[in-house]
Amino acid sequence: MSVRIEPGADGTAPRLAPGVRWQVFARSLGLQASWNHQRMQNLGLLVCLMPWLRARERDPERDRLFCRRYFEFFNTNPYLAGYVIGGLLRLEQEREGQGGLPRGQAQTFRDSLGRALASLGDQLFWLGLRPAVALLGCVVSLVAVGAAPLALGLLALLVVTGQLVWRWRAIGRGYAAGYDIVELLGDPRWHRAIRAAKRATLVLAGVLGGWVLHGGWDDASRPATGGWVVMGLLVAALAFPSLARRRPAGEFLIMAAGILGVVLAFALGEQGS
Amino acid sequence: MTAPELAFAMSGADWALLGWLALLAGCLALDETALAQTWLSQPLPAAFLAGLVCGEPATGLAVGLPLQMALTMNLPVGQTVTGDASGAAVAGVGGAVLAGRTPAPLGGEGDPVLTGWLLLGAAAVSLAGHPLVQAERRLHMVWMLEGRHTLRDGNLGRVEAIHGRCLLTAFVRGGLFAALALLAMAAVWLPLYAHLPHAVGFGFAWLPWLAAALGLGAVFERYGARRHWGWLGAGLGAGWLLGALT
Repeated sequence: MSVRIEPGADGTAPRLAPGVRWQVFARSLGLQASWNHQRMQNLGLLVCLMPWLRARERDPERDRLFCRRYFEFFNTNPYLAGYVIGGLLRLEQEREGQGGLPRGQAQTFRDSLGRALASLGDQLFWLGLRPAVALLGCVVSLVAVGAAPLALGLLALLVVTGQLVWRWRAIGRGYAAGYDIVELLGDPRWHRAIRAAKRATLVLAGVLGGWVLHGGWDDASRPATGGWVVMGLLVAALAFPSLARRRPAGEFLIMAAGILGVVLAFALGEQGS
Repeated sequence: MTAPELAFAMSGADWALLGWLALLAGCLALDETALAQTWLSQPLPAAFLAGLVCGEPATGLAVGLPLQMALTMNLPVGQTVTGDASGAAVAGVGGAVLAGRTPAPLGGEGDPVLTGWLLLGAAAVSLAGHPLVQAERRLHMVWMLEGRHTLRDGNLGRVEAIHGRCLLTAFVRGGLFAALALLAMAAVWLPLYAHLPHAVGFGFAWLPWLAAALGLGAVFERYGARRHWGWLGAGLGAGWLLGALT
Protein backbone atom coordinates (compact mmCIF):
# COMPACT_ATOMS: atom_id res chain seq x y z
CA MET A 1 0.00 0.00 0.00
CA SER A 2 1.63 3.24 -1.03
CA VAL A 3 0.74 6.87 -0.61
CA ARG A 4 1.87 9.84 -2.66
CA ILE A 5 4.42 11.75 -0.64
CA GLU A 6 4.97 15.47 -1.13
CA PRO A 7 8.66 16.33 -1.26
CA GLY A 8 10.20 18.58 1.39
CA ALA A 9 11.65 22.03 0.75
CA ASP A 10 14.90 20.54 -0.62
CA GLY A 11 13.00 18.24 -2.97
CA THR A 12 13.32 15.07 -0.86
CA ALA A 13 10.66 13.40 1.25
CA PRO A 14 11.03 14.24 4.97
CA ARG A 15 12.74 11.48 6.92
CA LEU A 16 13.23 10.53 10.53
CA ALA A 17 16.85 10.47 11.71
CA PRO A 18 18.04 6.84 11.23
CA GLY A 19 18.93 6.34 14.91
CA VAL A 20 15.54 7.57 16.07
CA ARG A 21 13.76 5.51 13.42
CA TRP A 22 15.51 2.30 14.55
CA GLN A 23 14.58 2.94 18.16
CA VAL A 24 11.00 3.76 17.26
CA PHE A 25 10.82 0.63 15.10
CA ALA A 26 12.20 -1.63 17.86
CA ARG A 27 9.75 -0.18 20.37
CA SER A 28 6.83 -0.39 17.95
CA LEU A 29 7.21 -4.19 18.00
CA GLY A 30 6.28 -4.04 21.68
CA LEU A 31 3.34 -1.69 21.23
CA GLN A 32 0.98 -4.12 22.97
CA ALA A 33 3.29 -5.12 25.83
CA SER A 34 1.39 -3.03 28.38
CA TRP A 35 -2.04 -3.61 26.79
CA ASN A 36 -4.75 -3.00 29.38
CA HIS A 37 -8.53 -3.06 29.39
CA GLN A 38 -8.93 0.64 30.17
CA ARG A 39 -6.67 2.48 27.71
CA MET A 40 -5.38 -0.43 25.65
CA GLN A 41 -2.16 0.60 23.82
CA ASN A 42 -1.74 4.07 25.34
CA LEU A 43 1.45 3.32 27.24
CA GLY A 44 2.83 1.39 24.26
CA LEU A 45 2.27 4.35 21.95
CA LEU A 46 3.91 6.76 24.38
CA VAL A 47 6.95 4.49 24.72
CA CYS A 48 7.20 4.23 20.90
CA LEU A 49 7.24 8.02 20.54
CA MET A 50 9.81 8.59 23.28
CA PRO A 51 13.01 8.12 21.24
CA TRP A 52 12.05 11.26 19.29
CA LEU A 53 11.52 13.15 22.55
CA ARG A 54 14.72 11.79 24.11
CA ALA A 55 16.72 13.04 21.12
CA ARG A 56 15.97 16.57 22.41
CA GLU A 57 17.29 18.42 25.43
CA ARG A 58 15.35 17.61 28.58
CA ASP A 59 12.57 20.05 29.38
CA PRO A 60 10.32 18.65 32.14
CA GLU A 61 7.38 20.88 31.25
CA ARG A 62 7.49 19.97 27.56
CA ASP A 63 7.99 16.28 28.43
CA ARG A 64 5.07 16.41 30.83
CA LEU A 65 2.76 17.89 28.21
CA PHE A 66 4.00 15.42 25.60
CA CYS A 67 3.16 12.50 27.89
CA ARG A 68 -0.22 14.05 28.66
CA ARG A 69 -1.09 14.10 24.94
CA TYR A 70 -0.44 10.39 24.52
CA PHE A 71 -1.52 8.92 27.84
CA GLU A 72 -5.12 8.71 26.64
CA PHE A 73 -6.93 5.74 25.11
CA PHE A 74 -5.33 4.37 21.96
CA ASN A 75 -5.92 1.19 20.01
CA THR A 76 -5.03 0.10 16.52
CA ASN A 77 -3.74 -2.94 14.67
CA PRO A 78 -0.11 -3.51 15.68
CA TYR A 79 1.01 -4.29 12.11
CA LEU A 80 -0.26 -0.93 10.87
CA ALA A 81 0.59 1.11 13.96
CA GLY A 82 3.76 2.37 12.25
CA TYR A 83 1.67 4.68 10.05
CA VAL A 84 0.13 6.36 13.10
CA ILE A 85 3.45 6.52 14.97
CA GLY A 86 5.31 7.98 11.98
CA GLY A 87 2.49 10.42 11.28
CA LEU A 88 2.39 11.65 14.89
CA LEU A 89 6.15 12.16 14.96
CA ARG A 90 5.91 14.23 11.78
CA LEU A 91 3.19 16.41 13.31
CA GLU A 92 5.26 16.80 16.50
CA GLN A 93 8.31 17.71 14.43
CA GLU A 94 6.37 20.36 12.51
CA ARG A 95 5.16 21.98 15.75
CA GLU A 96 8.46 21.80 17.57
CA GLY A 97 9.36 25.10 19.17
CA GLN A 98 5.77 26.31 18.86
CA GLY A 99 4.55 24.87 22.14
CA GLY A 100 4.16 21.33 20.73
CA LEU A 101 1.24 19.74 19.00
CA PRO A 102 -2.14 20.93 20.40
CA ARG A 103 -3.72 18.14 22.43
CA GLY A 104 -6.96 18.11 20.41
CA GLN A 105 -5.10 17.89 17.12
CA ALA A 106 -3.01 14.96 18.31
CA GLN A 107 -6.12 13.24 19.62
CA THR A 108 -8.11 13.68 16.39
CA PHE A 109 -5.27 12.41 14.20
CA ARG A 110 -4.42 9.51 16.51
CA ASP A 111 -7.99 8.36 17.10
CA SER A 112 -9.37 8.67 13.58
CA LEU A 113 -6.35 7.10 11.89
CA GLY A 114 -5.97 4.49 14.63
CA ARG A 115 -9.59 3.38 14.33
CA ALA A 116 -9.50 3.16 10.54
CA LEU A 117 -6.24 1.22 10.53
CA ALA A 118 -7.54 -1.08 13.29
CA SER A 119 -10.44 -2.02 11.07
CA LEU A 120 -8.28 -2.54 7.98
CA GLY A 121 -5.60 -4.39 9.93
CA ASP A 122 -8.07 -6.71 11.62
CA GLN A 123 -9.52 -7.65 8.24
CA LEU A 124 -6.19 -8.00 6.45
CA PHE A 125 -3.94 -9.47 9.12
CA TRP A 126 -6.04 -11.15 11.81
CA LEU A 127 -8.84 -12.44 9.58
CA GLY A 128 -6.86 -12.71 6.35
CA LEU A 129 -3.14 -13.33 6.38
CA ARG A 130 -2.75 -14.89 9.82
CA PRO A 131 -5.13 -17.84 9.31
CA ALA A 132 -3.95 -18.16 5.68
CA VAL A 133 -0.32 -18.50 6.75
CA ALA A 134 -1.24 -20.88 9.57
CA LEU A 135 -3.11 -23.15 7.17
CA LEU A 136 -0.38 -22.81 4.54
CA GLY A 137 2.04 -24.05 7.21
CA CYS A 138 -0.18 -27.11 7.70
CA VAL A 139 -0.32 -27.80 3.96
CA VAL A 140 3.44 -27.29 3.59
CA SER A 141 4.19 -29.72 6.40
CA LEU A 142 1.91 -32.33 4.78
CA VAL A 143 3.34 -31.89 1.28
CA ALA A 144 7.00 -31.61 2.27
CA VAL A 145 6.85 -34.75 4.51
CA GLY A 146 10.55 -35.44 5.21
CA ALA A 147 11.59 -31.91 4.31
CA ALA A 148 8.85 -30.39 6.49
CA PRO A 149 11.31 -28.83 9.00
CA LEU A 150 13.15 -27.04 6.22
CA ALA A 151 9.94 -25.98 4.47
CA LEU A 152 8.38 -24.69 7.69
CA GLY A 153 11.62 -22.88 8.56
CA LEU A 154 11.63 -21.14 5.18
CA LEU A 155 7.98 -20.18 5.52
CA ALA A 156 8.63 -18.76 9.00
CA LEU A 157 11.62 -16.79 7.72
CA LEU A 158 9.57 -15.36 4.87
CA VAL A 159 6.64 -14.40 7.10
CA VAL A 160 8.73 -12.87 9.88
CA THR A 161 11.01 -10.94 7.51
CA GLY A 162 8.07 -9.75 5.43
CA GLN A 163 6.18 -8.31 8.36
CA LEU A 164 9.26 -6.68 9.90
CA VAL A 165 10.03 -4.96 6.58
CA TRP A 166 6.39 -3.86 6.33
CA ARG A 167 6.49 -2.36 9.83
CA TRP A 168 9.80 -0.59 9.19
CA ARG A 169 8.46 0.94 6.00
CA ALA A 170 5.17 1.94 7.66
CA ILE A 171 7.00 4.18 10.12
CA GLY A 172 8.91 5.90 7.31
CA ARG A 173 5.82 6.34 5.17
CA GLY A 174 3.79 7.65 8.07
CA TYR A 175 6.48 10.19 8.86
CA ALA A 176 6.95 11.24 5.23
CA ALA A 177 3.23 11.67 4.63
CA GLY A 178 2.16 13.38 7.88
CA TYR A 179 -1.48 14.45 7.49
CA ASP A 180 -1.52 13.07 3.93
CA ILE A 181 -1.42 9.57 5.38
CA VAL A 182 -5.23 9.61 5.33
CA GLU A 183 -4.96 9.17 1.54
CA LEU A 184 -3.61 5.75 2.28
CA LEU A 185 -6.98 4.64 3.60
CA GLY A 186 -8.67 5.19 0.25
CA ASP A 187 -6.28 2.91 -1.63
CA PRO A 188 -8.39 0.16 -3.29
CA ARG A 189 -5.54 -2.31 -2.93
CA TRP A 190 -6.39 -2.76 0.77
CA HIS A 191 -9.70 -4.32 -0.10
CA ARG A 192 -8.27 -6.37 -2.94
CA ALA A 193 -5.62 -7.74 -0.56
CA ILE A 194 -8.25 -8.52 2.11
CA ARG A 195 -10.42 -10.35 -0.42
CA ALA A 196 -7.47 -12.35 -1.75
CA ALA A 197 -6.25 -13.28 1.75
CA LYS A 198 -9.70 -14.47 2.83
CA ARG A 199 -10.16 -16.46 -0.36
CA ALA A 200 -6.74 -18.05 0.13
CA THR A 201 -7.74 -18.99 3.69
CA LEU A 202 -10.92 -20.66 2.44
CA VAL A 203 -9.11 -22.58 -0.31
CA LEU A 204 -6.35 -23.73 2.07
CA ALA A 205 -8.96 -24.80 4.64
CA GLY A 206 -10.66 -26.70 1.80
CA VAL A 207 -7.39 -28.42 0.90
CA LEU A 208 -6.91 -29.53 4.49
CA GLY A 209 -10.59 -30.54 4.72
CA GLY A 210 -10.17 -32.70 1.60
CA TRP A 211 -7.05 -34.24 3.09
CA VAL A 212 -8.86 -35.02 6.36
CA LEU A 213 -11.74 -36.60 4.43
CA HIS A 214 -9.31 -38.73 2.46
CA GLY A 215 -7.74 -39.85 5.73
CA GLY A 216 -11.21 -40.78 6.96
CA TRP A 217 -11.93 -42.59 3.68
CA ASP A 218 -8.71 -44.60 4.07
CA ASP A 219 -9.74 -45.71 7.53
CA ALA A 220 -13.36 -46.20 6.51
CA SER A 221 -12.17 -48.82 4.05
CA ARG A 222 -11.03 -50.90 7.04
CA PRO A 223 -14.10 -52.50 8.65
CA ALA A 224 -12.53 -52.50 12.13
CA THR A 225 -12.79 -48.71 12.39
CA GLY A 226 -16.50 -48.48 11.88
CA GLY A 227 -16.56 -48.00 8.13
CA TRP A 228 -18.81 -45.32 6.76
CA VAL A 229 -19.93 -44.12 10.17
CA VAL A 230 -16.57 -42.45 10.71
CA MET A 231 -16.52 -40.98 7.22
CA GLY A 232 -20.03 -39.56 7.76
CA LEU A 233 -18.98 -38.14 11.10
CA LEU A 234 -16.03 -36.31 9.52
CA VAL A 235 -18.29 -34.80 6.85
CA ALA A 236 -20.74 -33.76 9.57
CA ALA A 237 -17.91 -32.22 11.63
CA LEU A 238 -16.75 -30.16 8.63
CA ALA A 239 -20.30 -28.98 7.95
CA PHE A 240 -21.48 -28.51 11.54
CA PRO A 241 -20.21 -24.95 12.19
CA SER A 242 -21.76 -23.70 8.91
CA LEU A 243 -25.08 -25.39 9.66
CA ALA A 244 -25.16 -24.27 13.28
CA ARG A 245 -23.72 -20.84 12.42
CA ARG A 246 -21.51 -21.09 15.48
CA ARG A 247 -17.75 -20.90 15.93
CA PRO A 248 -16.76 -21.95 19.43
CA ALA A 249 -13.12 -21.52 20.51
CA GLY A 250 -10.81 -24.25 19.25
CA GLU A 251 -10.20 -25.65 22.73
CA PHE A 252 -13.91 -26.40 23.07
CA LEU A 253 -13.91 -27.99 19.62
CA ILE A 254 -11.16 -30.36 20.76
CA MET A 255 -13.16 -31.28 23.84
CA ALA A 256 -16.29 -31.79 21.74
CA ALA A 257 -14.24 -34.00 19.41
CA GLY A 258 -13.12 -36.04 22.43
CA ILE A 259 -16.71 -36.57 23.54
CA LEU A 260 -17.78 -37.44 19.99
CA GLY A 261 -14.93 -39.92 19.69
CA VAL A 262 -15.85 -41.67 22.93
CA VAL A 263 -19.54 -41.79 21.98
CA LEU A 264 -18.51 -43.24 18.63
CA ALA A 265 -16.35 -45.84 20.35
CA PHE A 266 -19.20 -46.99 22.57
CA ALA A 267 -21.70 -46.90 19.70
CA LEU A 268 -19.49 -49.11 17.57
CA GLY A 269 -18.83 -51.41 20.52
CA GLU A 270 -16.82 -54.53 19.78
CA GLN A 271 -16.72 -53.74 16.07
CA GLY A 272 -14.93 -50.52 16.86
CA SER A 273 -12.52 -51.89 19.37
CA MET B 1 -4.43 -46.11 40.58
CA THR B 2 -1.69 -45.97 43.20
CA ALA B 3 0.68 -43.13 43.98
CA PRO B 4 3.88 -44.91 42.83
CA GLU B 5 2.36 -45.31 39.36
CA LEU B 6 2.25 -41.52 39.06
CA ALA B 7 5.79 -41.05 40.33
CA PHE B 8 7.96 -39.32 37.77
CA ALA B 9 11.72 -39.12 38.08
CA MET B 10 13.65 -36.58 36.03
CA SER B 11 17.34 -36.69 35.25
CA GLY B 12 19.60 -33.63 35.08
CA ALA B 13 19.25 -33.59 31.31
CA ASP B 14 15.45 -33.59 31.66
CA TRP B 15 15.60 -30.58 33.97
CA ALA B 16 17.85 -28.79 31.50
CA LEU B 17 15.38 -29.57 28.71
CA LEU B 18 12.57 -28.27 30.89
CA GLY B 19 14.52 -25.04 31.33
CA TRP B 20 15.06 -24.63 27.59
CA LEU B 21 11.40 -25.33 26.90
CA ALA B 22 10.35 -22.80 29.56
CA LEU B 23 12.62 -20.24 27.89
CA LEU B 24 11.04 -21.01 24.52
CA ALA B 25 7.54 -20.76 26.01
CA GLY B 26 8.42 -17.40 27.57
CA CYS B 27 9.55 -16.08 24.18
CA LEU B 28 6.41 -17.46 22.51
CA ALA B 29 4.23 -15.86 25.21
CA LEU B 30 5.87 -12.55 24.32
CA ASP B 31 5.24 -13.17 20.65
CA GLU B 32 1.58 -13.95 21.23
CA THR B 33 0.62 -10.37 22.15
CA ALA B 34 3.36 -8.36 23.81
CA LEU B 35 6.23 -8.37 21.33
CA ALA B 36 6.31 -8.52 17.54
CA GLN B 37 3.34 -10.89 17.08
CA THR B 38 5.05 -12.83 14.33
CA TRP B 39 3.57 -16.13 13.25
CA LEU B 40 5.77 -18.20 15.56
CA SER B 41 3.41 -18.38 18.54
CA GLN B 42 0.73 -20.13 16.48
CA PRO B 43 0.24 -23.76 17.57
CA LEU B 44 1.99 -25.39 14.58
CA PRO B 45 5.24 -23.39 14.64
CA ALA B 46 5.24 -23.33 18.47
CA ALA B 47 4.91 -27.12 18.66
CA PHE B 48 7.45 -27.55 15.89
CA LEU B 49 9.96 -25.29 17.68
CA ALA B 50 9.37 -27.23 20.92
CA GLY B 51 10.02 -30.44 18.96
CA LEU B 52 13.26 -28.98 17.61
CA VAL B 53 14.39 -27.99 21.12
CA CYS B 54 13.67 -31.56 22.27
CA GLY B 55 15.45 -33.00 19.24
CA GLU B 56 12.20 -34.57 18.02
CA PRO B 57 10.67 -32.31 15.35
CA ALA B 58 8.38 -35.16 14.22
CA THR B 59 6.70 -35.15 17.66
CA GLY B 60 6.27 -31.39 17.31
CA LEU B 61 4.53 -31.81 13.98
CA ALA B 62 2.39 -34.70 15.24
CA VAL B 63 0.98 -32.50 18.02
CA GLY B 64 1.13 -29.16 16.20
CA LEU B 65 -0.69 -30.06 13.00
CA PRO B 66 -4.07 -31.13 14.45
CA LEU B 67 -3.79 -28.47 17.16
CA GLN B 68 -3.31 -25.77 14.52
CA MET B 69 -6.26 -26.98 12.44
CA ALA B 70 -8.51 -27.00 15.52
CA LEU B 71 -7.37 -23.58 16.81
CA THR B 72 -7.10 -21.64 13.55
CA MET B 73 -10.18 -19.56 14.29
CA ASN B 74 -8.93 -18.42 17.71
CA LEU B 75 -8.26 -14.90 16.46
CA PRO B 76 -7.03 -11.97 18.56
CA VAL B 77 -9.60 -9.56 17.14
CA GLY B 78 -10.76 -6.90 19.56
CA GLN B 79 -10.26 -7.90 23.17
CA THR B 80 -10.90 -11.62 22.76
CA VAL B 81 -8.24 -14.04 23.92
CA THR B 82 -8.92 -17.68 24.40
CA GLY B 83 -6.29 -19.58 26.22
CA ASP B 84 -2.55 -19.86 26.02
CA ALA B 85 -2.18 -21.92 22.85
CA SER B 86 1.58 -21.57 22.49
CA GLY B 87 2.15 -22.66 26.10
CA ALA B 88 -0.18 -25.61 25.51
CA ALA B 89 1.71 -26.61 22.37
CA VAL B 90 5.06 -26.51 24.20
CA ALA B 91 3.61 -28.43 27.17
CA GLY B 92 2.09 -31.07 24.88
CA VAL B 93 5.27 -31.73 22.94
CA GLY B 94 7.63 -31.39 25.91
CA GLY B 95 5.42 -33.57 28.11
CA ALA B 96 5.41 -36.35 25.52
CA VAL B 97 9.19 -36.20 25.09
CA LEU B 98 9.89 -36.12 28.84
CA ALA B 99 7.53 -39.05 29.39
CA GLY B 100 9.27 -40.94 26.56
CA ARG B 101 6.14 -41.29 24.41
CA THR B 102 5.81 -40.83 20.66
CA PRO B 103 2.45 -39.69 19.32
CA ALA B 104 1.41 -40.68 15.80
CA PRO B 105 1.16 -37.97 13.17
CA LEU B 106 -2.29 -37.59 11.55
CA GLY B 107 -2.67 -40.50 9.14
CA GLY B 108 0.81 -41.81 9.99
CA GLU B 109 2.18 -44.81 11.80
CA GLY B 110 2.28 -44.92 15.59
CA ASP B 111 -0.15 -44.55 18.47
CA PRO B 112 -3.08 -42.31 17.43
CA VAL B 113 -4.76 -42.72 20.85
CA LEU B 114 -1.78 -41.00 22.45
CA THR B 115 -2.07 -38.12 19.95
CA GLY B 116 -5.74 -37.67 20.87
CA TRP B 117 -4.97 -37.83 24.59
CA LEU B 118 -2.18 -35.25 24.19
CA LEU B 119 -4.47 -32.92 22.22
CA LEU B 120 -7.12 -33.14 24.91
CA GLY B 121 -4.47 -32.31 27.52
CA ALA B 122 -3.17 -29.41 25.43
CA ALA B 123 -6.70 -27.98 25.10
CA ALA B 124 -7.14 -28.15 28.88
CA VAL B 125 -3.75 -26.47 29.41
CA SER B 126 -4.63 -23.72 26.97
CA LEU B 127 -7.93 -23.01 28.73
CA ALA B 128 -6.16 -23.02 32.10
CA GLY B 129 -3.85 -20.31 30.77
CA HIS B 130 -6.73 -17.98 29.95
CA PRO B 131 -7.33 -16.61 33.48
CA LEU B 132 -3.60 -15.99 33.85
CA VAL B 133 -3.53 -13.89 30.68
CA GLN B 134 -6.52 -11.93 31.96
CA ALA B 135 -4.90 -11.44 35.38
CA GLU B 136 -1.77 -10.16 33.67
CA ARG B 137 -3.81 -7.60 31.76
CA ARG B 138 -5.49 -6.42 34.94
CA LEU B 139 -2.02 -5.98 36.45
CA HIS B 140 -1.02 -3.94 33.41
CA MET B 141 -3.88 -1.58 34.16
CA VAL B 142 -2.72 -1.04 37.73
CA TRP B 143 0.82 -0.36 36.53
CA MET B 144 -0.37 1.85 33.68
CA LEU B 145 -2.17 4.05 36.19
CA GLU B 146 1.12 4.45 38.08
CA GLY B 147 2.37 6.16 34.95
CA ARG B 148 0.07 9.11 35.71
CA HIS B 149 2.78 10.49 38.00
CA THR B 150 4.77 11.22 34.86
CA LEU B 151 2.02 13.57 33.72
CA ARG B 152 2.95 15.70 36.76
CA ASP B 153 6.75 15.44 36.85
CA GLY B 154 7.67 14.58 33.23
CA ASN B 155 9.82 11.58 34.29
CA LEU B 156 10.03 9.57 31.05
CA GLY B 157 12.01 6.75 32.64
CA ARG B 158 9.05 5.79 34.81
CA VAL B 159 6.81 5.07 31.81
CA GLU B 160 9.56 3.10 30.06
CA ALA B 161 10.19 1.07 33.23
CA ILE B 162 6.49 0.21 33.55
CA HIS B 163 6.37 -0.90 29.92
CA GLY B 164 9.50 -3.02 30.41
CA ARG B 165 8.02 -4.56 33.55
CA CYS B 166 4.95 -5.59 31.56
CA LEU B 167 7.17 -7.29 28.94
CA LEU B 168 9.07 -9.15 31.63
CA THR B 169 5.83 -10.27 33.28
CA ALA B 170 4.53 -11.75 30.03
CA PHE B 171 7.81 -13.64 29.56
CA VAL B 172 7.86 -15.00 33.11
CA ARG B 173 4.16 -15.86 33.08
CA GLY B 174 4.49 -17.76 29.80
CA GLY B 175 7.64 -19.61 30.81
CA LEU B 176 6.50 -20.61 34.29
CA PHE B 177 3.03 -21.63 33.18
CA ALA B 178 4.36 -23.80 30.36
CA ALA B 179 6.94 -25.42 32.66
CA LEU B 180 4.29 -26.31 35.25
CA ALA B 181 1.88 -27.51 32.58
CA LEU B 182 4.62 -29.59 31.01
CA LEU B 183 5.41 -31.27 34.33
CA ALA B 184 1.71 -31.95 34.91
CA MET B 185 1.44 -33.38 31.42
CA ALA B 186 4.44 -35.69 31.85
CA ALA B 187 3.85 -36.70 35.47
CA VAL B 188 0.05 -36.93 35.65
CA TRP B 189 -1.76 -36.66 32.33
CA LEU B 190 0.33 -39.08 30.26
CA PRO B 191 0.57 -41.78 32.96
CA LEU B 192 -3.25 -41.68 33.17
CA TYR B 193 -3.31 -42.63 29.50
CA ALA B 194 -2.18 -46.17 30.34
CA HIS B 195 -5.36 -46.61 32.40
CA LEU B 196 -7.83 -45.59 29.71
CA PRO B 197 -10.48 -48.25 29.04
CA HIS B 198 -9.94 -49.83 25.64
CA ALA B 199 -13.16 -48.51 24.11
CA VAL B 200 -12.46 -44.97 25.31
CA GLY B 201 -8.97 -45.22 23.86
CA PHE B 202 -10.45 -46.12 20.50
CA GLY B 203 -12.54 -42.97 20.67
CA PHE B 204 -9.48 -40.82 21.37
CA ALA B 205 -7.81 -42.23 18.26
CA TRP B 206 -10.46 -40.30 16.32
CA LEU B 207 -10.10 -37.10 18.31
CA PRO B 208 -7.35 -35.54 16.14
CA TRP B 209 -9.36 -36.13 12.96
CA LEU B 210 -12.63 -34.88 14.43
CA ALA B 211 -11.00 -31.85 16.09
CA ALA B 212 -9.27 -30.94 12.82
CA ALA B 213 -12.55 -31.34 10.91
CA LEU B 214 -14.46 -29.17 13.41
CA GLY B 215 -11.72 -26.51 13.35
CA LEU B 216 -11.68 -26.43 9.56
CA GLY B 217 -15.47 -26.37 9.55
CA ALA B 218 -15.25 -23.23 11.70
CA VAL B 219 -12.99 -21.69 9.02
CA PHE B 220 -15.55 -22.60 6.34
CA GLU B 221 -18.26 -20.91 8.39
CA ARG B 222 -16.20 -17.76 9.00
CA TYR B 223 -15.28 -17.25 5.37
CA GLY B 224 -18.66 -17.96 3.83
CA ALA B 225 -18.57 -21.52 2.58
CA ARG B 226 -22.05 -21.11 1.07
CA ARG B 227 -21.20 -17.99 -0.92
CA HIS B 228 -17.80 -19.22 -2.09
CA TRP B 229 -18.66 -22.88 -2.57
CA GLY B 230 -16.70 -22.97 -5.85
CA TRP B 231 -13.42 -22.01 -4.16
CA LEU B 232 -14.13 -24.36 -1.29
CA GLY B 233 -14.97 -27.21 -3.67
CA ALA B 234 -11.72 -26.68 -5.56
CA GLY B 235 -9.82 -26.77 -2.28
CA LEU B 236 -11.57 -29.94 -1.14
CA GLY B 237 -10.78 -31.63 -4.45
CA ALA B 238 -7.13 -30.60 -4.27
CA GLY B 239 -6.95 -31.83 -0.66
CA TRP B 240 -8.42 -35.20 -1.60
CA LEU B 241 -5.77 -35.53 -4.33
CA LEU B 242 -3.09 -34.50 -1.86
CA GLY B 243 -4.30 -37.23 0.50
CA ALA B 244 -4.14 -39.78 -2.31
CA LEU B 245 -0.61 -38.75 -3.25
CA THR B 246 0.95 -38.50 0.24
